Amino acid sequence: MTQLNVVGKSVVRPDAYDKVTGGKHYPVNYSLPGMLHGKLLRSPYPHAKIVAIDTSEAEKLPGVKAVITHADVPQNVFTPVYFVPAHAKSMVQDFVVMSDRVRWAGQPVAAVAATSADVAEAALQLIDVEYEELQPVFDPEEAMKEGAPQLHDNAPNNIAKAPSFSFGDLEAGFAEADHIFEGVYQTQRVHTCYMEPRVCVVDSETDGRITVHSSMQHGFGLREKMAVALGIPESKVNVVKPTYIGGGFGGKLDVGHIEPVAALLSLETGRPVRIEHTRGEDFIATTRNPIKVYLKTGVKNDGAYTARYIKSILDAGAHATHGAEVIMVHGLYGTFFPWKCPNQTWEGFSVYTNNIIGGGYRGYGAPQGCFAVESQNDEICEKLGLDPIEFRSGNTHKEGDPHPVLQGHTLNSYRLDDCLKKGAERIGFDRRAPANSSEGAKKRGIGFACHPLWVSGCLGFPDIYEHSGATVKLNRDGTADVVSSCIDLGSGQITMLTQVVAEELGLASEAVRVVYADTDTAPFDAPTHASRATYSAGLATKAAAVETRNRLFKAASAVMEANPGDLYLEDGKVLVKGAPDSGVPITEITARAESAFVQMTEEGPRLTTIEEKGTIIGSASQAPPSNPSPVAAQFVEVEVDTDTGEVKVLHVVHAADAGRVFHPKAAEGQVEGGFQQGMGYALMEHLQFDQDTGACLSSDFLDYKIPTSMEMPPKIESIFVESNEPTGPYGAKSMSELCLIIPAAAIANAVYNAIGVRVTELPITPERVLRALGKL
Amino acid sequence: MALTSVEAFHSPADKASVVQLLQKHEDNALIVAGGTFLHGLASRGLLTGIEVLIDIQNSGLDNITINTDNVVIGATTRFAQLETSQEIAQEAWLGAVKDAIAYPPIQIMNSATVGGSIASSCPFFDLPTSFLALNGAAQAHGPDGSRDIPLEEFFSGLFENSLAPAEFVTAIKLPQPPANSASAFIKLETNANDLAIVNAAVALTLDAEKKCRQARVFVGGGMGETPVRASAAENLLTGAVVDEDSIAGAGEAAKSGVDPISDHRASAEYRAAMAKVLVEKALRKALARVD
Amino acid sequence: MKQIIQLDVNDEVHEIAVQPYDSLLRALRETLGLNASKRGCDSGGCGCCTVLLDGKAVYSCMTMAMQVKDRKVTTVEGLGKVAGLDPIQQAFIDADAVQCGYCTCGIMMAAKQLLAENPNPDEDAIRKGISGNLCRCTGYQKIIEAIQLASER
Repeated sequence: MTQLNVVGKSVVRPDAYDKVTGGKHYPVNYSLPGMLHGKLLRSPYPHAKIVAIDTSEAEKLPGVKAVITHADVPQNVFTPVYFVPAHAKSMVQDFVVMSDRVRWAGQPVAAVAATSADVAEAALQLIDVEYEELQPVFDPEEAMKEGAPQLHDNAPNNIAKAPSFSFGDLEAGFAEADHIFEGVYQTQRVHTCYMEPRVCVVDSETDGRITVHSSMQHGFGLREKMAVALGIPESKVNVVKPTYIGGGFGGKLDVGHIEPVAALLSLETGRPVRIEHTRGEDFIATTRNPIKVYLKTGVKNDGAYTARYIKSILDAGAHATHGAEVIMVHGLYGTFFPWKCPNQTWEGFSVYTNNIIGGGYRGYGAPQGCFAVESQNDEICEKLGLDPIEFRSGNTHKEGDPHPVLQGHTLNSYRLDDCLKKGAERIGFDRRAPANSSEGAKKRGIGFACHPLWVSGCLGFPDIYEHSGATVKLNRDGTADVVSSCIDLGSGQITMLTQVVAEELGLASEAVRVVYADTDTAPFDAPTHASRATYSAGLATKAAAVETRNRLFKAASAVMEANPGDLYLEDGKVLVKGAPDSGVPITEITARAESAFVQMTEEGPRLTTIEEKGTIIGSASQAPPSNPSPVAAQFVEVEVDTDTGEVKVLHVVHAADAGRVFHPKAAEGQVEGGFQQGMGYALMEHLQFDQDTGACLSSDFLDYKIPTSMEMPPKIESIFVESNEPTGPYGAKSMSELCLIIPAAAIANAVYNAIGVRVTELPITPERVLRALGKL
Repeated sequence: MALTSVEAFHSPADKASVVQLLQKHEDNALIVAGGTFLHGLASRGLLTGIEVLIDIQNSGLDNITINTDNVVIGATTRFAQLETSQEIAQEAWLGAVKDAIAYPPIQIMNSATVGGSIASSCPFFDLPTSFLALNGAAQAHGPDGSRDIPLEEFFSGLFENSLAPAEFVTAIKLPQPPANSASAFIKLETNANDLAIVNAAVALTLDAEKKCRQARVFVGGGMGETPVRASAAENLLTGAVVDEDSIAGAGEAAKSGVDPISDHRASAEYRAAMAKVLVEKALRKALARVD
Repeated sequence: MKQIIQLDVNDEVHEIAVQPYDSLLRALRETLGLNASKRGCDSGGCGCCTVLLDGKAVYSCMTMAMQVKDRKVTTVEGLGKVAGLDPIQQAFIDADAVQCGYCTCGIMMAAKQLLAENPNPDEDAIRKGISGNLCRCTGYQKIIEAIQLASER
């Protein structure tokens, strides 16, 4: 690999100073003079028709400035997901901001803007809604039955979407198998638990333009969905990019209710309106869809797959939104194409229920798939006495293979075997004892899982935006400003962008700043999601920086009387190749470029040239050339208390091929944080609902438990098997989502190794462990 | 947000003023101290119509007094104060108290008060189970002066207790047991900042022959509307040598004697099974503490 | 009815009007404009709002503003500025312990009490010391390293 100066080093994150001194730029802190506070009234019923709403008492409350209901909201039907067009053919359009039909408990039915949040809250109590209750259905398989309550027109049996893929001859494949394994693997509804709530401030102008500040993952997506929801041109909506947000993890990838509602309230009152979710509202705003996976696999005695049939039933909730895409990604990249099997059929069902709407969540359908497939792979190896690492290696892709999904693309960099080998070595996999062989009540086990195919963005996915842009400008003081719409969720996008620009312009990373951007002035970028930012936004920003450098060389060539092609950058200077003493500081070139044509000096007037004049600026807007697959394997050691059923994770080794690692500490941070979410998914997290009323039982962190520092394992080790992805920026691919896709499967397999019984339903609670052990 | 009904906040300087305020505002008044449970209750709609908050933290109720026959812990004593108390750290018979406050995070330790843990009458709290095992009493103060209410009478239901109108908890009294006594507490939780899924506390007094003179066994955390006394387990232990056999018997007896709730955190079946496991663990822990 | 109280925050006494039910967090954020203490749950579950009250870490969302009269509140605004960072702040930067950063201020305040009372905590003590604070980005590992680093300095 080429020698790099900034990329590959754990530089200080530029935003860290701000964040340790208070973090004043979070959207939650944003406020405007004269701002009103909005609150949403939510339906207590999971399925109902609104017969009448009387807001007159609420309107009379002093301090209340506006009250709106569905009657005031444009009934535009669209897909609220940011990363696809609002009317994308591959998605399902079934969402309106407020409706007279309630399909989930918690659905907003009215909203108030008032001079304080307390007054708005009090006003909600004065709104009288008359509902006609309808029969709800909460279980997707029940919802698919004839006679079940129907949630949407045009969706018979509540099936929002039913994609399928197939190749080979399934029947022949099963006939050829020496063994057939069948299992059902159920995952649960969980929440991303971003720490900063969803919050927005929307202001409006007299000409109907609106300005939006929001804690979200995609400014352009929000702009488009706002425009569609309100029925106004996109150009009337300006979304300001948040400097940073307090986490997203996919949970802020769709316009929910607050931004359009705040806009309507602002348009009505002429004042800025702020709406902030309570934690309880956040819990019902977005979720990872539960998926039940029916999995049947045929294998030869030597472990080679002969056939696989997969049926996945996804609980979409009240509206398809993400559920229409999660099912696809789950099928393509979560279950079907990661593994090499000659005869496969997958059938997916995204099913409406009266549960809350699904959302994006890091991994997007793959954690559910990985849990199913890797649990069953573990069963196969156990039953047939196969080496589990060789089994994975034998049934997955190899470097240089054609990309299994993207025609014409190749797996240029693909080091899964190295990940498996190095991870196994580090955890000491050869000391793994047979299942259930430790003595005493506390039993130890080692397990692992891998995920053999994932993404660096969305190139190749129908209807999903995948391009990025940036503008890079050199300042006279030797610094560079980057305008990019790529939002930093906390995973380090600001740092990554500064590294790219510093690398290309020969600057220290501290000399590069990511500055203000909004949808009026900055080029489009797809959301920060799908492990795409480093690869896609990184490439576009690199291209912009290269253009800036070319412009710099053009000016420098005039100053230095050299051919632009003979120039290079080092330590903040422009140099001529072969003449290391020739350097002129970038600051001087930039200053001359921005200076007057005739400069007065002590020696009298000095003429500069026209050629060197003009801001040293470059921009790019481009789609990435490919969608390379990162891969990873994760090894976990656990201890299971067979008296209480509690599972404790003792040690984690995560080995990843992310291509070139941009920032080793940030990459470790992805592994460690991803494991926190993955372990929560595996062992404790479960967004639960009252089975009669559909009401969420998890209104705060008292009832939704995520791992604290005390439950986390003492050691999470990261191994980076660095490959060189030729299409990536400096050889980089991606890494974030795999850190959460794999843990649940790895932990489940370790639990099996400890106790000799398999839990096939997440979370693996103490109670489920004891049931599996036959102790309850 | 249900707290927005509150119109006044008082910080009376003595017990008499507290009682006066309680008399004046009756059901519309609520005593607060550390406040660690208040918001959880309010956000669940379990606190409505509260117009007056009475903060008793300035009412001089935060002393720990060690007497020859008992330990008196003032109602506004914070968990952190208990943690730093030498007596509580050293006395084996107070082990169940020490154990219970080993769980919460620092912010709860610094805010939550002993009186609040009792007066809230929440069956998922930890100290009530320990105090019950230690045969504690709540000292209540009201219009007619002070009285001691044994905790077994004090807890009368879910978030309910036997305080009379205008009465409030001023202290917890724990009677000093005979020599060779020890207690222990243990809890199951999902993460380190959790209410108990199940908890158990035991207090043992052994005689010279290491036989059990007296045992008190309580299980809490969804065992019912209050922590539950495992009398059958106590009977089995009393007079017996405390060994693995009697411990297992006591655990089994505790399990048979409970009728727990099922909720989204655990089923009744799991809770009952854990009553056994935790009682056994707590008994072993207490036994190891007896000199 | 709002009442006027005096609030000593970071050694500066403010006279502010609060509702009798207002939390300290609300007084800090909405009345004083001190935004370092974050609202993450408003029910003592996440720890983002942790401040020091007379040197002790508390959830400011669970502490009533009215209870804080005559006591000293310390927030991250009183910890250090970029020109003179507290060792804890510097250690969080150096250990790459800050991702989204929303939990960071609360965790630093919990760590502040921990290190004040136990200048050389072992890993278990650090884990316990921040167990009332949730972080969704880091898995806590780099946060623990940061606190270790601060204790060594």
